[in-house]
Amino acid sequence: MPLLSDKTYLYTELAQEKGVVLPTPKTEAWKYTRLRDLLNTEYQLCPSTDKTGSLPPFEADVIHIGNGWVVGELPRIEGVSLSFITETMEKTQHPFALMNAAYLTQGLKIEISGKLKRPLLLNYFVVPEDKNYFYHFRNQIICHENSSAEIIEQFTYEGAVKSCYFANIVNEIRIEANAKLHHYKYQNEAFKANHIALHKVAISQSGEYESFCLQKGANIARNETEIALNGEGAEAVVNAAYMMNGWATLDTTTNIYHYVPHTKSSQLIKGVIGGTAHGVFQGRIHIAPNAIQTTGTQLHKAILLSDEAEIDVKPELEIFADDVKCSHGAASGELDKEQLFYMRSRGIGEEEAKQILINAYLTDTITQISDERVREWFKILITG
Amino acid sequence: MSAPILEIEDLCAEVGGKQIIKDFNLTINEGEVHAIMGPNGAGKSTLSYVLCGKSGYKVTSGSVRFKGKDLLSMSTEERAREGIFLIMQYPVEIPGVPSTTFLKHAVNAVRQHQGLPELDTMEFLKMVREEGRKLGIDNEMLKRPINVGFSGGEKKRMEALEMTILKPSFAILDEADSGLDIDAMKVVADSVNALRDNKRAMLIITHFQRLLNYVEPDYVHIFANGHIVKTGDKHLAVELEQNGYAEYVKEN
Ligand SMILES: Nc1ncnc2c1ncn2[C@@H]1O[C@H](COP(=O)(O)OP(=O)(O)OP(=O)(O)O)[C@@H](O)[C@H]1O
Ligand SMILES: [Mg+2]
Repeated sequence: MPLLSDKTYLYTELAQEKGVVLPTPKTEAWKYTRLRDLLNTEYQLCPSTDKTGSLPPFEADVIHIGNGWVVGELPRIEGVSLSFITETMEKTQHPFALMNAAYLTQGLKIEISGKLKRPLLLNYFVVPEDKNYFYHFRNQIICHENSSAEIIEQFTYEGAVKSCYFANIVNEIRIEANAKLHHYKYQNEAFKANHIALHKVAISQSGEYESFCLQKGANIARNETEIALNGEGAEAVVNAAYMMNGWATLDTTTNIYHYVPHTKSSQLIKGVIGGTAHGVFQGRIHIAPNAIQTTGTQLHKAILLSDEAEIDVKPELEIFADDVKCSHGAASGELDKEQLFYMRSRGIGEEEAKQILINAYLTDTITQISDERVREWFKILITG
Repeated sequence: MSAPILEIEDLCAEVGGKQIIKDFNLTINEGEVHAIMGPNGAGKSTLSYVLCGKSGYKVTSGSVRFKGKDLLSMSTEERAREGIFLIMQYPVEIPGVPSTTFLKHAVNAVRQHQGLPELDTMEFLKMVREEGRKLGIDNEMLKRPINVGFSGGEKKRMEALEMTILKPSFAILDEADSGLDIDAMKVVADSVNALRDNKRAMLIITHFQRLLNYVEPDYVHIFANGHIVKTGDKHLAVELEQNGYAEYVKEN
């Protein structure tokens, strides 16, 4: 059924049409994330736009994606082959990934075969014009043997801050032997918008995936990372920070599968939750029976700025092998009162003192970002 | 005769539901240095927190005027900007905030209150490094998160540096001398003396006479049972060192 551009559709009805079962409050993997506002909204298919979002302060090869459509011609970049996709790479059970495939707006195949000199920026941008648009975008990122690349995804919007548009993003990522991908994401959608993203990453022998995601916007947002460490020596870093206010729901979910020996993963995720917002962190580390001498670490921390702010945390360790190093930790609390008093007793105003503490709290999530310019950019996004 | 800078009248205050300060009276004039000595747990730190408006420290009656203004109605930061500074007995560690960054925020907050422009970063750094050097704080330490992992003595030096840079009109030193080695004590005392002039005043809380040899007080008070039980000059400190507090604590 081709969707008509001037008609609105209830998301649940679109799902029914394709036989996709969307999560209910009883669905285990989604039980903390209140999806009601997202599912019960009538959406209209996003029309393309020529407008583009503003660029971060460093040089990059840019692909503008306006309302879910690539703007203009695909750029020519040495060491990269770009094309539009026609079918998805892998089967999945993920309900929103299924929807993404069923109603794909557009998708890109990004094949990397060299060592890229500049970051590739996917600059997503929505001009909602007071309508509740939805778009489904998908990237197939293939990092061939020995290649290295840096991909940055930025999500912003213009005007009509009250529209409840919905961005559904899927990244299928394959990192071949000895290849390196640094993947950074900045999500700052409109405050009533919805944003669901799935990054499905498979890493071969001695491959490296380094990621960081900063989420600041949207009403309902989920950033989900699923990593399969398939080859010995494969490594993944999954760091994230989030800052939320109002009544937002913001979910960070990670599923990391160590399938073979000598693999390594680390996660540092920190959030600051204000207003009546609701944070969710679900983190699974799975170590398969033969995957000896693997290391998997996970730490989630959250600061609650108000009495009504909430956090749900569900760490899961599934360790079926001996001789592994695995740890997880979670902590949540308020800003330290003694620290606030100390700062105020030196003349620093209460709000400024809180901001300084929040910045200090979040900045260690970005210290692992290899690219200094990107690190600085995130630092400004966190403090600004 | 110089004007009063701090006037405490019939002050009563409690912390954790327990009355610690009872009918406390003290007037400090511009240019004066007062010392308070008293047994552990008497309420000396409590008094200094009350003067800084720390939450949890509840004034139940009485009044405090600072340069003629009602101090108790001001927030902690307003008091600091008006010129009150407390060297804390236990300075607080703040991970992730470099000492210089912290100092810069503090200086600019106070300057803004005084209607002065923000300090130029280069100028500021130069000043901090120079004052730091006098207090035995090197550039490496200035880059570290404030107080994090500092030794007891290093923390007190950092407190003295903050004081030197903020130039308060009224400084409370709550055991500024604890944890300091003999040389550091002199260095910190020098920074206190450098600040001393006929407009500024100080309240020095200490257990030992030694600091008072370097920073000579105009008055020495004994604090027990929630208020001042005896006032004398510097010789009172010498006497206390010999006889202890037994005589004064018995009072009621
Ligand atoms: N939050 C609190 N709850 C209950 N009691 C408290 C609290 N804070 C302080 N106190 C008590 O108040 C009393 C005064 O404490 P304070 O720290 O002011 O004493 P001090 O004179 O500074 O002692 P020291 O010489 O040991 O530094 C002590 O008995 C202390 O245990
Ligand atoms: Mg004390």
